Amino acid sequence: MLVCICSSRSSVDGSSPPEWLLVELQGEMVSRHNSGLAGNVMGDLMYTKEGVPVLIVGHHILYGKQVKLEKPFAVLTKHSSLLQDSLGSHDNDDVTQVPMETNQQGPTSTSYSVSALIKRKLIFKTRPKPIITNVPKKV
Amino acid sequence: MRTLEEVQATLQIAKLKEEDLQKTIHCLSFGENVSSADYCLMELDDTLCKHIESGESLVIRGDAEERAVLCSGDKTYDLKIADTSNMLLFVPGCRTPDQLTNSQESSHVVHTQIWGFCNSYWELRKHRPKLKKLKKLLMENPYEGPALGGQEENTENRYTMQDLLERIQASEEELKTHLETIHASQIDGYWRMLDFDYEMKLLGHVTQLVDSESWSFNKVPLQTSLEELAPLEPKEMIEHCLNCYGKRFTENDNIFYALHEDKVCRGIALLLLQNAIKFNLKEFQEVWQQSVPDGMSARLDQLKSVALVDRNSRPETISLLRVEDLSEDTLERFNHLFTLREKWTEDDITPYIQDLCGEKQTTGALLTKYARSSMQNGIKVFNSRRPVAT
Repeated sequence: MLVCICSSRSSVDGSSPPEWLLVELQGEMVSRHNSGLAGNVMGDLMYTKEGVPVLIVGHHILYGKQVKLEKPFAVLTKHSSLLQDSLGSHDNDDVTQVPMETNQQGPTSTSYSVSALIKRKLIFKTRPKPIITNVPKKV
Repeated sequence: MRTLEEVQATLQIAKLKEEDLQKTIHCLSFGENVSSADYCLMELDDTLCKHIESGESLVIRGDAEERAVLCSGDKTYDLKIADTSNMLLFVPGCRTPDQLTNSQESSHVVHTQIWGFCNSYWELRKHRPKLKKLKKLLMENPYEGPALGGQEENTENRYTMQDLLERIQASEEELKTHLETIHASQIDGYWRMLDFDYEMKLLGHVTQLVDSESWSFNKVPLQTSLEELAPLEPKEMIEHCLNCYGKRFTENDNIFYALHEDKVCRGIALLLLQNAIKFNLKEFQEVWQQSVPDGMSARLDQLKSVALVDRNSRPETISLLRVEDLSEDTLERFNHLFTLREKWTEDDITPYIQDLCGEKQTTGALLTKYARSSMQNGIKVFNSRRPVAT
């Protein structure tokens, strides 16, 4: 069984995948009204003049630092598609998709593409400090 | 979407002064697909990172019963999921201070989406490729020579390179190197291992020809060999044999082979040893020397990792023990070796554990971990750490 991890699905000129930033937080994140995270605001990220990252999430403020990753990460996106054709020629430059036997109807083909590389992160390890609000400021 | 005013209000409540901050403020929100789980994070090393940056692909190989491995073009890695108690968010559009231009006069908000998040990732560790399966597959239907008149050739259980790449947990380069090591040959588009007797038959033809033509075995002419032996065997097979047992070179536009003394002698020894459990060492050495081509010397050190000499028995004996027939799993291998023989000297055991060493690992380190040492007659010997039935 083979699962291919292709360098960049949409890249025609063979250019390298984009670089993204990783933000690492301690603990879990849940949405306030249990409505799921998708589409919701998370917080505000800013930097002091000295370059210290500051994150305001809900009622908390966190201070972090920027770190270069010892081992970079790749963000892999999964692609599953129903297999249409038989295999193409085995050529290192091509995207080689190979069928996996599955219990479902018809063979499906699974592959991953590298959506991005991550070489640096902002890590927020300090204990979040609560923001005391007196009166919500009206805009 | 949050406005600048809302952000500034938050800053005020948080008692942060705008003049202490850089002008760009990222408003982070979760994208629509964050919960879709169709993505994951994989840790890389520098080599793999460069691979990906240069556009090369990676492949995950493994059957349902096997542990998955990741392969680049020439290396194999073990895959393991690592959990972290932290949350890892990936943010495409987020800039770090060194990337901010700060050309703007006043604060502004950049709406930035969190593309995804996770709290686990794949960890990679370099691993020996799992190549034992290759010989096993190719031995299902070894090539015994061209089909004789009237006989049908067995076309079952034949594998192309593509078939092998799908089944063997190794990178393509490691696979190709191993095919060479086991003297496999591509015949009719399929990779075939030669039946050992057939391989020895081919070698016999070559050495007899060298002898009858009084050539030096350091300069065997390809063209003449093919012509002389064509009535006996296919030309491709003769050439394959020369490639396995000799080194090719060109002189004055002619191709020659220098037969490799160690490989030839080893092959002949294997032929002699395969037919019995044990041999009287002295008798074996005599027959062996007589069987190798004139001018070649048969030496016991040529048989490291394929035969085992017992110097403690009377008379001394030798038997076939090929490292490629032993388990790929380190613990199983040690248990097996200690079952065969209770105590081993370092010289004797090293050829049988060399291939188990990881990167930067020595056989000494393996012995420290998997065996116990003691002194016997002034020599250091190794035995099993736990009781084994001998």
